Amino acid sequence: MIRFEPRTERDGLWTAAAFAMAIAAGLAVSALLLASTGANVGQVFSALVQGAVGSPKAIATTLVKATPIILTGLATVIAFRAQLWSIGQEGQVFAGAMGGYLGAQLLAGLPAVAFFPGVLVFGMAAGVAFGWLAAVLKNRFGVNEIISTVMLNYLIVYLLSWMLQGGPWGESGGTISYQQSPMLPSDAFLPALFGSSRLHAGVLLPFIAAAICSLVLSRTPLGYEIRGLGYNPEALRHKGVNIGRTVTIILMASGALASLAGAVELFGVAHRLRADNLVGLGYAGIIVGMIGGLRPLGTVMAGLFFGGLASGAVYMRVLGDVPAALVPAIQGITLFFFLCAGVLARYRVVKVAVQ
Amino acid sequence: MNQLFQEAIIISILASTIRIMTPLLFSAMGELITQRAGIWNMGVEGTMLTGAFAAYIAATATGSLWLAVVAAIIAGALMGAIIAFMTATLRVDHFIAGLGLNLLAGGLTLYWFQSYIQGRAQPTFSGFQDIAIPLLSDIPIIGPVLFSQRALTYVALLVVPAVWFLLYRTRYGLELRCLGENPKALDVKGLSVTARQFAAVMLGSALTGLGGGFLMLGFSDRFLADFTAGRGWIVVVALIAGNWKPKGVLLAVTTFAFLESLATHLQVVGAQVPHQLLLALPYLASIVLLMGVRFRSGQPARLGIPYKRG
Repeated sequence: MIRFEPRTERDGLWTAAAFAMAIAAGLAVSALLLASTGANVGQVFSALVQGAVGSPKAIATTLVKATPIILTGLATVIAFRAQLWSIGQEGQVFAGAMGGYLGAQLLAGLPAVAFFPGVLVFGMAAGVAFGWLAAVLKNRFGVNEIISTVMLNYLIVYLLSWMLQGGPWGESGGTISYQQSPMLPSDAFLPALFGSSRLHAGVLLPFIAAAICSLVLSRTPLGYEIRGLGYNPEALRHKGVNIGRTVTIILMASGALASLAGAVELFGVAHRLRADNLVGLGYAGIIVGMIGGLRPLGTVMAGLFFGGLASGAVYMRVLGDVPAALVPAIQGITLFFFLCAGVLARYRVVKVAVQ
Repeated sequence: MNQLFQEAIIISILASTIRIMTPLLFSAMGELITQRAGIWNMGVEGTMLTGAFAAYIAATATGSLWLAVVAAIIAGALMGAIIAFMTATLRVDHFIAGLGLNLLAGGLTLYWFQSYIQGRAQPTFSGFQDIAIPLLSDIPIIGPVLFSQRALTYVALLVVPAVWFLLYRTRYGLELRCLGENPKALDVKGLSVTARQFAAVMLGSALTGLGGGFLMLGFSDRFLADFTAGRGWIVVVALIAGNWKPKGVLLAVTTFAFLESLATHLQVVGAQVPHQLLLALPYLASIVLLMGVRFRSGQPARLGIPYKRG
């Protein structure tokens, strides 16, 4: 028999070791998974590393892929730290792209300094609206936020599908429906950071957002309330904090971050509204936020790691015939070992004799 | 519209309600057992997805639908073991464990699926067919609705009284409900809470996996990404709406199935509505249903709270 006893003091070295073991175990199981389907494990991993950090172009792709995941990861951090289990990030990414697209139509012709902030605000407003909706459902009607946000995710995805197929935003012409909007005009593309590279200016946003989240969490009354909701909501209530209002603000802020990810993908990468490059960004953000220990800095690091995986996978697909779904599989596996490592870091495993 | 046509439509709506109910009913009864044991398993979606995937692989690899059913049950039980390990042994927050399981299941099934079909056309299978029970199926209206269904549908309808009997009329059921209400009482008696929660979650998840398996075997001939499309979450909604009681859950599941059936038939009768709106209807209904549910008297007192001794 084994038993878990809480550690009385936090052991930094042990915590680090637990998480290092989690990464090692995650990679080992991923290797088993690869071997189970007959792939050459060494080759696949070296292709992954090559494609992630092997060249300046690979690093640029890693940053571009990490950008939306870090943003949805931060959205997860803000909500989960308050023990609000919103998984609306997935749908809010779609909402953000839709809001941004609407903004691009309304603000077309404005100079870039006004256009880009404007369309990003449009995108974020859409996520804020859905965050608000989830908050109303929770506060007024007692609907569990996990369930309401999952349902809203499906509703948003179908809404986009209709807008692109039967609705006003679909690409016209031809008899086949591609479920995508026409291309944005090229002056609506987020400008590149260096000359003609694919590194668009949006890659700076997650770092700015992470710094702001970090400051808000550690230095502001709102940050205190977020942490308080997570630790001890009763104490917070006794202090006279309006819990319902705090929940609303948190879910709206989380929605803003997640939908910013969708808008950045639209203006920085896809340049047209379509679903397939947005799918999974929200769920990846949940994994990244949790692996990052629900801390902004950890989330940035986990996001860069997963961005590298995604970039490496592109390279891997060109080289061999390993299925594209390897990345979400590795993400899920890694998450599980991190959850276990979290337990190991907090508890001491004790062997007890069976009576 | 002539009368004969109207009658045919009504029969078709009701018959497909019963059919759509079947997978949801298996999964919901499984989750009912799990939650009554105090584990708020948020991994229903992932468990159903894994059950569906296992059924697909078994059906296309062996050609036997019944082996596919067994595969779905085993896959479900394995997912249950993971959830039980995370929640009962490691005491990870139930919501986080469930979310983790869903993400893991989504990634793993998609990867294995893509590896499985690599470089060839996706293999398909032909699923369960309706079995018309002699004589009974000849009764007007009731016959085609109730007695011309797939074999597992009859099983699903029997699972409801069976779960009721298990929970309220057996010693095991009493102990199982005690896990959700007052696990300390079992612990004090020297019974292992962890072992019992393991057993309950694995049993419940086996049923949930079977639900996913039937979704595959009864409604499709191929696997797709996100095959379960949120049905696992609808199961969780049905539990809350059904106030954690077998009869209530049956009622909630029937309501969803009826709405979905109605939505698919709207197009048959030629209503001019975008099909995305019809697809969105069950999710919309879930939200509205939960908005109206205020009573939570049936919720197990210790549901979702990791048990700690002392």
